[in-house]
Amino acid sequence: MKKWLLLLSFFTSLLICGEAETIINRLEENLRGKDLYAKMEIIVKTKRHTRAMLIESWGKGKKKNFTKILAPSRDQGITFLNLDKQMWQYVPKIERIIKIPASMMLQSWMGTDITNDDMVKQSSLADDYHVSILRKDGPIVTLELIPKRGAAVVWGKIISKVDTRTYTQIKDIFYDDEEVEVRAIEYEGVKQYGSHYVTTRMSIIPYEASKKGNSTTIRIRDIRFDQGISESYFSKNALIRYSR
Amino acid sequence: MFSLALKNLLFYKGRTLTTFLLSLCSTVLFVVYVAFMDGSHESMLKNSLSIYTGAIQVMQEGHHENPSYDTLLEDLPSVMQTLKNIEGIRAYTPRLESFALLSSEEDSVGAMVTGIVPESEALVSRLKEALVKGRYLDSEDSNGLYMGEELAKRLGVDLGDEIALVGSATDYSFAAERFQIIGLFRTGLFEFDASSAFVNKAYFDALMLSETMASSIVVTVDDLEKAETVAGEIAGQMPSRVEVLTWKKLMASMVQAMEVDSLFGYISMGLFFIVVFFVIMIFGFINISGRIRELGLLRALGVHSYEILKLLLLESAILAFASVLAGTLIGAYLAYFYEVNPIIIKGMAETYKAYGIISDEVPTRFDLFTIAWNAMVVLLLNFLAILYPVYYIRQFTPTEAMRHV
Repeated sequence: MKKWLLLLSFFTSLLICGEAETIINRLEENLRGKDLYAKMEIIVKTKRHTRAMLIESWGKGKKKNFTKILAPSRDQGITFLNLDKQMWQYVPKIERIIKIPASMMLQSWMGTDITNDDMVKQSSLADDYHVSILRKDGPIVTLELIPKRGAAVVWGKIISKVDTRTYTQIKDIFYDDEEVEVRAIEYEGVKQYGSHYVTTRMSIIPYEASKKGNSTTIRIRDIRFDQGISESYFSKNALIRYSR
Repeated sequence: MFSLALKNLLFYKGRTLTTFLLSLCSTVLFVVYVAFMDGSHESMLKNSLSIYTGAIQVMQEGHHENPSYDTLLEDLPSVMQTLKNIEGIRAYTPRLESFALLSSEEDSVGAMVTGIVPESEALVSRLKEALVKGRYLDSEDSNGLYMGEELAKRLGVDLGDEIALVGSATDYSFAAERFQIIGLFRTGLFEFDASSAFVNKAYFDALMLSETMASSIVVTVDDLEKAETVAGEIAGQMPSRVEVLTWKKLMASMVQAMEVDSLFGYISMGLFFIVVFFVIMIFGFINISGRIRELGLLRALGVHSYEILKLLLLESAILAFASVLAGTLIGAYLAYFYEVNPIIIKGMAETYKAYGIISDEVPTRFDLFTIAWNAMVVLLLNFLAILYPVYYIRQFTPTEAMRHV
């Protein structure tokens, strides 16, 4: 009898594990499609200032992403290229392409609460983390993501609440290596775009005492999936070419 | 009693001389060792303070623990005005620090780029004297960059080359500019030279949108010993939420490392003293054991045991005082001599540059209070070492003592 119980629990855990990975894969598939174009407004709130930015982004697969700043005018034309976890930046004012070194990956991206590291690793959750189901409340599933051994990630753990009806996130909480909550991302306003569901508003709230009161809100203005984005966006030449 | 004690000491010449020399050498060694330990610590600390940190820093509350644009000192002119009227301050200067990406044609490196007021900065730190190539900044400079020699090596650039700066302005908007290297410096603090660059603050403020802001104001004082008092006075006149930190807090990690180093120094000296203690005690014991019959005779002649105790302690005291005094004088002379003429170990700064050692000189620290307590320790050790032998001799009755072989 004991043997059967052990076997049963083993297969159940295998099934749950498989289910968790399926959820993460479907979530990433829903978010990314074959390729993706998006126009987004980013509002950064700090103690002294509130700033707004408008950006355009082109993505293909897990490893290719191109971003261009449209506004404010001071930053217009700055472009970013993420290729296989590496990041380059072109700044028209100084007319130079710069590779962001590893030592700067944890620095803020354009003064937001997003780091350079977030930008390059935005779609690699399934590759870098072991996923398991913590809780299930009907269609709402809470996932726990623990970094895989040797994965070059900055988080100690991520707890992610997912709506499996639309395969969109509701809330992510990020923990450091000592299991201290570092930040949360809240998602709202699910809309359907063709066969994809997208949360059109995303708020990043840092928990560190020194960043109390700060937040970064991203609003999707336009999003298009599977448009057949040209490969020309994903080369270093694109940084200058598409900057104008 | 005193002359009898002196006679006894002169009679047992060999034992007296050995104990004297042992105690004398211990004193000299202890005084000189502590003087070197304190001297090297003090010189490292003073070098670090004078190179960049300064004795006091004024900053917004929380900035020291979490340096960020959210904790910048605002309303800089009024804070600077307040500092003008405080006594004991020698000079002060504001700095705006920004962690930015410096990029050459070859490479990109994250570095601390700091906006400084060139004239007043030269009064509080050794940045100007650290120049090795080109020139130091001046108040008319626009996009001139004064860069650490090691940082230039990391970027593969030299004097006159162009460097692009990419970072965030104080409102967290994007900031980028091209700079030209006008000077290279070497302070000797390896980490600092490999990660620091300086710009004229007036120009940097326009780029960083920080006209009336600073990360900190660095203050030097007339007398480092009075830094705490001056800091207290500054704090009293500053608006709330402005913190005034002295070098003890600013250099806490260095001060702690030195305390740990001193602790290990004292532990190794402690082990040495345990050996010295037992050697003195054994010599005392042999000396007294050899004199049991003599002391028994004195008792039989009517000398009170209390007076014998006094005699033995007096002998020990004469020896201890004489040896410790001589040792202290020699030790103090050496401490003074090497403070004025530090020992020079060629190549030491080069070998240990990563540990913040920037000079080949190893100075001592001549401090009368330290020397006094060092001497007291050896003196106490001498007295403690004689206690057991004296206790041992008191167990004998006069008859037993006289029969003792």
